[in-house]
Amino acid sequence: MIGGRWSVVSDRISDLNIQYATRNIKNMNSNSKVKVIVLLLGFFYGIQLHAQPITVTDVVGREVTIPAPAKRVILGEGRQLITLSLLVPDPVSIIAGWTGDFAKSGGLLYEDYRKRFPAIDKIPLIGSSGKETVSTEQIISLKPDLAIFGAGSHGPDAKSADVIRQLEAAGIPIVFIDFRLHPFKNTVPSIEVLGKVLGQEQKATQFIDFYHRRMNYISGVLARHPDIKKPKVYMEMIRGAVPPGSPGKGNLGEFIEFVGGNNIGTILPGEVGTLNMEYVISEQPDVYVATGIAKPSEEGLVIGQNVYTNQTQQSLSKLASRQVVSPLHAIQQGKVYAMWHLFYDSPLNIAAVEALAKWTHPELFGKLQPHGVLKEINERFLAVPLKGVYFAELKK
Amino acid sequence: MSTTAAVIEKGYRQQFAKRIALLCGLAVAMLLSFFFDMVVGPSTLSTADVFKAIFSPDSIELSSRVIVWEVRMPYSLMALLVGASLSLAGCEMQTIMNNAMASPFTLGVSAAASFGAALAIVIGVSLPGVGGDWMVVVNAFVFAFGATLLLQALSSMRGAGPEGLVLFGIALVFTFNAFTGIMQYMASAEALQQFIFWSLGSLTKANWDNIPLLFALFAIILPFSLASSWQLTALRLGEDSARSFGVAVRRLRFLSLLRISLLTAGSVAFVGTIGFIGLVGPHIAKLLIGEDHRFSLPASVLSGALIMSLASLASKAIVAGAIIPVGIVTSLIGVPVFIALILNKRKR
Repeated sequence: MIGGRWSVVSDRISDLNIQYATRNIKNMNSNSKVKVIVLLLGFFYGIQLHAQPITVTDVVGREVTIPAPAKRVILGEGRQLITLSLLVPDPVSIIAGWTGDFAKSGGLLYEDYRKRFPAIDKIPLIGSSGKETVSTEQIISLKPDLAIFGAGSHGPDAKSADVIRQLEAAGIPIVFIDFRLHPFKNTVPSIEVLGKVLGQEQKATQFIDFYHRRMNYISGVLARHPDIKKPKVYMEMIRGAVPPGSPGKGNLGEFIEFVGGNNIGTILPGEVGTLNMEYVISEQPDVYVATGIAKPSEEGLVIGQNVYTNQTQQSLSKLASRQVVSPLHAIQQGKVYAMWHLFYDSPLNIAAVEALAKWTHPELFGKLQPHGVLKEINERFLAVPLKGVYFAELKK
Repeated sequence: MSTTAAVIEKGYRQQFAKRIALLCGLAVAMLLSFFFDMVVGPSTLSTADVFKAIFSPDSIELSSRVIVWEVRMPYSLMALLVGASLSLAGCEMQTIMNNAMASPFTLGVSAAASFGAALAIVIGVSLPGVGGDWMVVVNAFVFAFGATLLLQALSSMRGAGPEGLVLFGIALVFTFNAFTGIMQYMASAEALQQFIFWSLGSLTKANWDNIPLLFALFAIILPFSLASSWQLTALRLGEDSARSFGVAVRRLRFLSLLRISLLTAGSVAFVGTIGFIGLVGPHIAKLLIGEDHRFSLPASVLSGALIMSLASLASKAIVAGAIIPVGIVTSLIGVPVFIALILNKRKR
C-alpha cells in the first residue's frame, strides 16, 4: 500500500532468498536440511532480536516505548519530511499521514520532492497548516505506529493536550522533536530520537557526528578569542506582507549568540516576535540578515530551491532600500545578508549556523562555505538534494 | 413668564457652554496623548529632537529623522484616524439601529472585510490590476462595501426596520466568518500567520501611502455626518417623532449606513480589525456629553481618537522595543475608562 520503492525492493529480495533457499532444500540430504533450518531459524530469531521494544526519551522529557522501528508515521508538520529524508532513503514511504504545510510553503523544493517521490501526492492529510485544522480521528483511522510532533509547531505540539490524550488513549505513541523553540539544545537529541524510533541509528549517528564536528569548530575558534567584540545582529523573517518577525531568546537567535553575535531580538518575550523599528534603529545593528521563503513570482525575499542568484539579489536589494532601514549601520556598510526561512525549523540549521558565523565574524570565519555544508549534506544524507540559493550576500 | 424663558435660555446657554468646554477638554486630552505618543519610544530621542526632526528635518541625523517620520508619526497619526473613524461610525450605528450594543462590527461589515483580506492573503485573488500589499486593502474595502449594499438591498426588500437589519447583519457576520474559516483552513502556515496578525489589528501597517487616503475619507465623510446631526438626534426620540419633524427616516438610515461602511472599511483595510473602539468610543462620548448629536458626534470622534492614541502608546510601552498588536491593547485601555464613567454616572 504505502510501501514505496524501497520496501518493494526489499520484499523482492527476501522473496528471491526464500525461493532460492527452498529450491536448495529440496536438493539436499536431511543433514544439510537441518543445518539450513537452523540457519533460517537463526535468521528469523535475528529479526526477532531486532524487533525488541525501543524506548526513547523525547525532547519534552516523555519516555516513549514502541515495539519495533516505526514503519507508518504521522508528521505533525509536513516540512519535517526534509528531516526524515536525512535518515531514511525513501521518507515518503513511511509517512502514513501529514499536515499540508510543506505542500503549501515548500515552494519549488516541494516540487522536487514530488518529482523524486510521486507517491507524495497520495499521502493522506491529517489537516491543513494550522493545529486547529488537525483531525485526531483521521490520525487514528490511519493506524500509524507513531506520531512525530514538534514541541512547538504549526501542527499539533506539546501544548495540544487534547490531541495527545486522544492519541494515547488510542494506543498511538507520540514523540516530540524540536528544531524551532530551542534548536541549539534540541537539534541533536531530536535526531537521536528519530534515529532510534525509525531504526536508522547509524545514519543518525553519522549526522550527529557531522553536526558536532561543525559546531565544535566554531566554538573552538571562539574559545581562542574570548574577548572578541560581539557585533549586533538584526534578523528579519520576511513572510509576505506581515510586519517581519525576529527571533527572540529561542529559535535562530540562539545560534546568533552561539557564533559570537549579539541578537538584538532577545528583548522579545517569545521565541519569535515583532520588534519596534524604532528600537532597531536605536540599537544600530552591525549585521542585517533577512530570512525568506518567497517563490520567484511572489513578494518578499526570493530564495530557496531552484532560485537564481539574481532573483535573490533583486529582492534583497529591494528590502535593503526601504526607507525605514536606511539609517542602520548594517545597511549603510553593506552588511546585508539573506537565508532561507525554513532553516529556522530544521536540523539543516547547521548550514545557517555557519552562514551566521561567517557574516558576524568574517575575520574568524571568512573561509566557511555554508553552501559547501549543504553540498556535503546533499551527498551524505539528503534524499532530495538542495540546489539553488540558500544563502546570499547583497552585492554592492 | 419672561423670567422663566430667561431661566431656560440661561440654562441652555450654560449647558451649551459646558458641552463646548467638554469638547475642548477632549480635544486637549487627545492632543496631549498624541504628543506623548510622538515623544515616547524605545530610543533615547529627546523631545527637542522630535521637534527638530519635525520642523527642520535636515538639521538632524538620519536615524532620528527616520524614527520620527517613518516610525512614530505614521503610527501615531494612524491611531488618531482609525480611532476617530471607528468611533464616529459606531455613534451613527448606535443611533440608526436604536441599539446601544451596536458597533460598526455588528452588521458583518468588518467580517466581510476580513474575508476579503483573507482572499488576498491566502489565495492572492483581487480585482484586476491590483497587486502586492494593496490587494489586502482593496479586497477588504470592496467586500465591506459590498456587504453594506447587500444589507441595504435585503432590508429594503422586506421593508425591515432596525430589528430586521440587525438580524440580516448577524446572518452576514456568520456567513463571512465561515468563509474566512475556509480560507484559514486552506492557508499555508505563513499565510495563516499573516492573516492572524492582520486580524489582530496593528498600526505597523501605517505608512505615508495609506494615511492620506484614510484622512481624505474621514475628512469627506465628517461634514456629511455633522450635517445630519439634528436628524439623528430626532431619530433618538423614536422613528415616529422623527417623521413628524420631517425626517426621511429610510433615506437617513441608508446614507448613514453608507458612511459607516466607508469609515469601517477604510480603517479595517489599513490596520485590520480593531473591534472595541467603535462600541466604547461613542458610549464614552454620550456619557460625558449626552445624546445631542451636534455634540455627541464630534465627542465620539475625539474620544475614539484619544483611546486609540493611548492604546498606541501602551502597545509600544508594554514590552520596550517589541510591538504588541494594538487591537489587543485597545480593550485594556478603553474598559477602565468606560467602567469609571458608568460608575460615576450611577453615583450622580
